[in-house]
Amino acid sequence: MNTSTHPVAPEEVMALLDGELGSERKEFVARHVEQCSECAMVATDLRGVAQALSDWKVAPISQKLQAGILGSAQRRGLDGKIPGPRLFVRASFWGRKQWFVGLAGTTAVAALTILLFVPHRVLQKTNSATEAKTALAISPAVPQRSAPIDGNTAKLAGDALATVPGNGGGSGAGYAPRASTTTANAIMGVGSGSGAGVGAGAVDGQVDQLNSGPMIARTVSLSLVVKDFAAARAMLDGILARHHAYAADLAVNTAEGQPRNLQASLRVPAPELAGALSELKSLGRVENESQSGEEVTQQHADLVARLKNSRETEQRLQAILQERTGKIGDVLAVEQEIARVRGEIEQMEAEQQSLEHRVDFAAVNLSLSEVYKAQLVPPAISFGTRLHNGLVAGYHNAAETLFGMVLFFAESGPVLVIWLLIFGLPVLFLWRRYGRALDAG
Amino acid sequence: MQEELPGQVLDSEVPCRTTMDDSEETPAKDEPGAATSDEQLMLAFVKGSAESFNELFSRYKQPLFGFFRRRVSDLCVAEELTQETFLAVLRASVRYEANALFRTYLYAIAFKILRGYRRKAAFRAAFWVDRKRMQDPAGHDATDSAVLLQELVRKLEGTDREILLLREFEQLSYGEIAAVLHLPLNTVRSRLFRARKALRELLEAPAGKPCAPKLAEFGDSA
Repeated sequence: MNTSTHPVAPEEVMALLDGELGSERKEFVARHVEQCSECAMVATDLRGVAQALSDWKVAPISQKLQAGILGSAQRRGLDGKIPGPRLFVRASFWGRKQWFVGLAGTTAVAALTILLFVPHRVLQKTNSATEAKTALAISPAVPQRSAPIDGNTAKLAGDALATVPGNGGGSGAGYAPRASTTTANAIMGVGSGSGAGVGAGAVDGQVDQLNSGPMIARTVSLSLVVKDFAAARAMLDGILARHHAYAADLAVNTAEGQPRNLQASLRVPAPELAGALSELKSLGRVENESQSGEEVTQQHADLVARLKNSRETEQRLQAILQERTGKIGDVLAVEQEIARVRGEIEQMEAEQQSLEHRVDFAAVNLSLSEVYKAQLVPPAISFGTRLHNGLVAGYHNAAETLFGMVLFFAESGPVLVIWLLIFGLPVLFLWRRYGRALDAG
Repeated sequence: MQEELPGQVLDSEVPCRTTMDDSEETPAKDEPGAATSDEQLMLAFVKGSAESFNELFSRYKQPLFGFFRRRVSDLCVAEELTQETFLAVLRASVRYEANALFRTYLYAIAFKILRGYRRKAAFRAAFWVDRKRMQDPAGHDATDSAVLLQELVRKLEGTDREILLLREFEQLSYGEIAAVLHLPLNTVRSRLFRARKALRELLEAPAGKPCAPKLAEFGDSA
């Protein structure tokens, strides 16, 4: 049947039988079917199919099912609730509820996993910081290891530490940051070369002195936003000079089109910390401030004790070397042992100095940012040049990508083929089975 | 119960379409309560009339069960899906708006549930053989002619088969089929014709002879 020779398509004959034609077309097609034997045959065939299908009957619905559904309708009428589909057991695929429960479960498991695998070190750090703060909070005088502190110094640890009573008591505001260290070094004979002449009583005296108060190594982080960057930079130098502080590290970034910023790691004498912080805060608006203190009293005491023992050992070895005679080999062995002990002593002295320096000088990590005002600056490079550069860069990128893909497949292709064979074929097989089952209904 | 419906509602009380073969499963219009349209009954049920749902249920229980029974080999599954569909209607009744025929609404829900079941069953079948289905392809309640017809219909292409079944047994119009299956109207018409032609070829093929209809040929001959 061809629509070029037939004015009526067979689908129209079917639509006529199905009552799906409009009234005008319906009459025309009906007349045509009466006159055209070929179309009449199509109509007969279609009726035959419908007749055949009418033999496909199904059993009536069960009474139990009817009762169940009507019962649900009655319940809805009573309380407005209809039992929802059971979780994970329903005819259809997962709905919103199942997805929600699944995602929530996955999230919970992920959160639990993260909690379980939090690095132990982080916890330890947190604990030590907390302990240090607690020690500071309960300390009656902070810090008072090195020099007399005026009343203001008691507030040096910022807001958290400001609660510490400021009973430094000293009236002298003068600064002697290295006083204790110098004293300690003198007592312990640092730099004497031989280390001789260090009395145990002197060391004990130092330990007693150290026991008078906790040794706290303080760290402060301060972020400021300033309006006038250059002025703030100059004022920073002034602050450092006034408080006998210095910058261990300082970097200024002045990128074009971006606000200038300064990153500095300052070392401020501990007694001057409060005053220095106060002046630093006056440079601009404080965006972020954090302070922490690490108590190193025990660490220092251990170091002093180990140093004392090493010095005594060295003294004994020196005495042996001077008083006793023996073979050359024995003498050399004693000298080697003296050299070893001396090395340990110097290493410990260096550690002690570093530790005391951390206590004497608080570390202030300062970040200064400028309040940036964008300025209309004509581009340095013309649009044509930039376009040209962009096109060249694009060409290079495209070529690199292409070469990269070729290289990737050259390098990984064989492996991919193997994995494809291992996993792809079973997946393809299952996918085809799935498709066939889906198609078969 | 005779409420005024929105203007866009297609009133299902329109005169019955001319069909090639009237099925007994078509909701009877001359029964008590048939004067009220499905949409009006549903709206009444939304407002709390349980009798309205009973009437709707009595109209569609057998057609809906037949819908699933002809598409699912397992009787229990067909019953479960029927129940699930009515429960879905009950659950969604508070959001019901009479924007279309209730029948289209009902079969759209049924078709969605059927698709979900088929995906799940196909996923299972991809991993292991459904022995029950192989042993009992048509169920114990099926007659010989029903079994034969089911086997022949199963050989049709999936969408063609659905269109044919929706037209022949659910008595949906071309437009309703297009709405349920999300297909263009002309596609529904051409595919329905193709399905009928293919089924006719299958019915005329000698018994035992493997009949694989070349559906493309029907299209060309048409």
